[in-house]
Amino acid sequence: MKSIQRVQHLISAMLLIFLGVFAFLVYKLQTEAGFYISNASKISLGCVYDRNGDVLFDPDADAQIYGNDYFIDIGNLIGDASRQMSNTLVAQNMGDLAKFSFMLGEQENGQSAIYCTLDHKVNRKVYDAFGNKNGCAVAYNYLTGEIYICLSKPSVNILNHYDDLDTLENGSLLCKVFLPAVPGSTQKIATSIAALESMGYDQVMQKQFSCSGIYTNQDGKDIKCHKSSGHGMQNLTQAFANSCNPFFAQLVEDPEFPLEDIQRTYEKMGFLVNNEGTQKYLDINGISAFTASTYLKSKTDFNTQWGCMGQGETLVSPLQIMLWQSAIANMTGKTTYPYLIDHTIKVNGAVANPAETKYSSQQFTPETAQYMKEIMLDNGRNHYQTLCQFGDVGVKSGTAQIGNAKTENSLLTGFVDNPEFPIAFCIEIENRISGDVSTTDITGTLLRTLHEALYQE
Amino acid sequence: MYQNKLSYSRVVLMLFLTHISMLVIVFIRGSITSAGAFLKLAGAVIGLDVGYLLLTLAYEQMTYTLDFMLLALLNISLIFQSCFGSIGLSVKHLISCVMCLAACEAGFLLTRNHEWIRKQKGWIYALIVLLFILIIFFTDNQKKWITFGSFSIQPSEFIKPCYILVCAASIVELHEKIKILFFWVSKDTLILSGVTIMIFALQWWCHDLGSLPTFAAIFVCALFCRLCYPKAKISKRLIAIMCIAGIGILSAAWSFAPEYVQKRLHVDIWADRYGDGYQQCEALIGIAKGGWLGVGAGNGALCHIFAHESDIVFATICEEWGLLFALLTVMLILIMLMTVLMNPPKSYYHATMTAGVTAAFLAQMGLNIFGSCALIPFTGVTLPFLSQGGSSMITCGFLVGMLKAGQSPLFRHKAPPKKTAKKVTT
Repeated sequence: MKSIQRVQHLISAMLLIFLGVFAFLVYKLQTEAGFYISNASKISLGCVYDRNGDVLFDPDADAQIYGNDYFIDIGNLIGDASRQMSNTLVAQNMGDLAKFSFMLGEQENGQSAIYCTLDHKVNRKVYDAFGNKNGCAVAYNYLTGEIYICLSKPSVNILNHYDDLDTLENGSLLCKVFLPAVPGSTQKIATSIAALESMGYDQVMQKQFSCSGIYTNQDGKDIKCHKSSGHGMQNLTQAFANSCNPFFAQLVEDPEFPLEDIQRTYEKMGFLVNNEGTQKYLDINGISAFTASTYLKSKTDFNTQWGCMGQGETLVSPLQIMLWQSAIANMTGKTTYPYLIDHTIKVNGAVANPAETKYSSQQFTPETAQYMKEIMLDNGRNHYQTLCQFGDVGVKSGTAQIGNAKTENSLLTGFVDNPEFPIAFCIEIENRISGDVSTTDITGTLLRTLHEALYQE
Repeated sequence: MYQNKLSYSRVVLMLFLTHISMLVIVFIRGSITSAGAFLKLAGAVIGLDVGYLLLTLAYEQMTYTLDFMLLALLNISLIFQSCFGSIGLSVKHLISCVMCLAACEAGFLLTRNHEWIRKQKGWIYALIVLLFILIIFFTDNQKKWITFGSFSIQPSEFIKPCYILVCAASIVELHEKIKILFFWVSKDTLILSGVTIMIFALQWWCHDLGSLPTFAAIFVCALFCRLCYPKAKISKRLIAIMCIAGIGILSAAWSFAPEYVQKRLHVDIWADRYGDGYQQCEALIGIAKGGWLGVGAGNGALCHIFAHESDIVFATICEEWGLLFALLTVMLILIMLMTVLMNPPKSYYHATMTAGVTAAFLAQMGLNIFGSCALIPFTGVTLPFLSQGGSSMITCGFLVGMLKAGQSPLFRHKAPPKKTAKKVTT
């Protein structure tokens, strides 16, 4: 009998293994059902609303109900259910939008919906403020992480059902807020942070470098300043405000500022340096956002020095540039994680997935954040007074040369130092030439309309 | 012989109630387009129930548990298969169910006397060789089917019960050992290993790699039974060598598997949704659509997908009847296998045979269910009792007969059980 018992134990073991795997399968099927259903060819979907209840996505939308270009400013951010764009809020959250539950199946009259943190009216005004220029803008609450404004121009009018694909401008189907961009001099924020982290405030402030308009580095290559007559002797605060390239080239070459320290700080801030490791992406409610990447070869290398000033091979997404502002504005050295979805409504009307404020790991010390904040506020007070109507503004501008300096993109990033209006932002205007609308103009519109909208609430 | 907990009449009542409830569900939630088609289905289900139960009056066994469960399962399967896409009796599946019941009786009668069947091993080996010849010389281009007009059989399916029978062994056989190099092994194990290699080679040659895990499970079971019977001298060295060999064979198979197998092993179904992942993606979407309670019999969309009634039948059932119903059905099969634990075999031969049957059923269920749900690579094997396919149904019926034989064995030296034992079921 003992031998038969052993065989029974074997049978029991086989049955238990099968039951275990089967139980796991049932759990998996139930938890992933939303994802599966979101891939179905026909599925009833709910709407996406902004923070005021304005519709951002309606599966039954047409021009007669909403007007022809109602969705134009959010076309490549919110997207639609056509699967033409994959990195959009609707495409990535179809499971939450589906009028479906595993218990009840498909419900035509289900109440599934997504409520966003965006303010559509303000978003549209900022979109319109770009005029005939292309670019992108993003702004969020650096205390909570709510994204209020996120747009990318050119965009796509989803009401046209992609019938005009051939005539769409390049980049219409992509939200550039989440894509790599040449940061220009906004990169000097990261380099200044690295210097403060490496040497400390006092030592950095003691360093003064001269700018005569052009600096020949230790490798014998010329680094030009945008001011051909030069800025003279400057410390970090002055050079930051002047966006002085020779100063930063000399700072990078300084023997007391090791390249390893720059690399370490950059990596903590989300950079992929020298292609070592894997590129990091942020997940914004399913939307994938590029962080940053650069190459640091040697302190005297021409490209490395330019890389530290936001040219060369340095790439950063506008979203990432904005996130660094939160770590500075909060004086914590930790970025506030952004989100677009405030909450969702389940098919039965129950509220689900309420947003939570989350923070990144420590990117730099609170002391560095505090000093950097002062440097940026100083720049804002002295050069961007028009933006200070809702509180002091910490700012850094940048000009990114694209395609062998054939075109220049203009950037402006910063934060409002007001706990009642804690806004961080990043604006980029593509191919800007003198006389065009400026990033300062758009930021002014953004802050003014957003302030009105938030205080009306 | 066994303690009776439920009376025969109550079990029969439950059986009828199960099938009638399902028919009522079809009537209420199903997409009935023709009352005649529904009545035909209901008539076939009730007719099969009544017919088989009347037939059971004609013979005596120690327990009828498996008979009732098999009948319950087959009629559930008939209702499922008759409702995919539209409601109408699947005559083909009805015939398969009847053949399954007949095969069950054949399996039972042939294997209930463990001494007799053990002595027939030579014939069983010969039968396996005959099936090899049929597969090599008489099957179609895919080396799977032999077609007679509109009727096709898959000979490789019939190898499974034969293989389980040659894997089963009595303790006497296991004691007859000879020394080869450093190891004491029985002659039976050597022959079995040779046949196993031949079966594996044949399956590889036929590109029917989906069945390999089933044969492997049966073989591992047989090996366990050979190594772990009470008086076996378990050599740790032998076990270590076998484990290493097993891992080596698996790694080699993984590396040298044909391209189409490699593709299936590594496919990301959602990235290749309209290519190699098509059936699995559609199956998962179907399961999600069905939810716990299903969209109703005949209302599913998976019926438009290739092999919805066989390879991805679990998903098709989930879509139309709901995951809850599919779970209950799978549990019914598992409970059928668990009866071996409640009514243990009385001989070692039957014990090893039932272990082989359990391994075969579980492996095949796992391959079908977990494969169609993308938990493991998709193999395209049938789901026992629920998938359409005559050869598969006959084989499954025969295997249940073998299980039944372990629970209602025939011993030459004992008198046949008395008629009163007929009420027995646990």
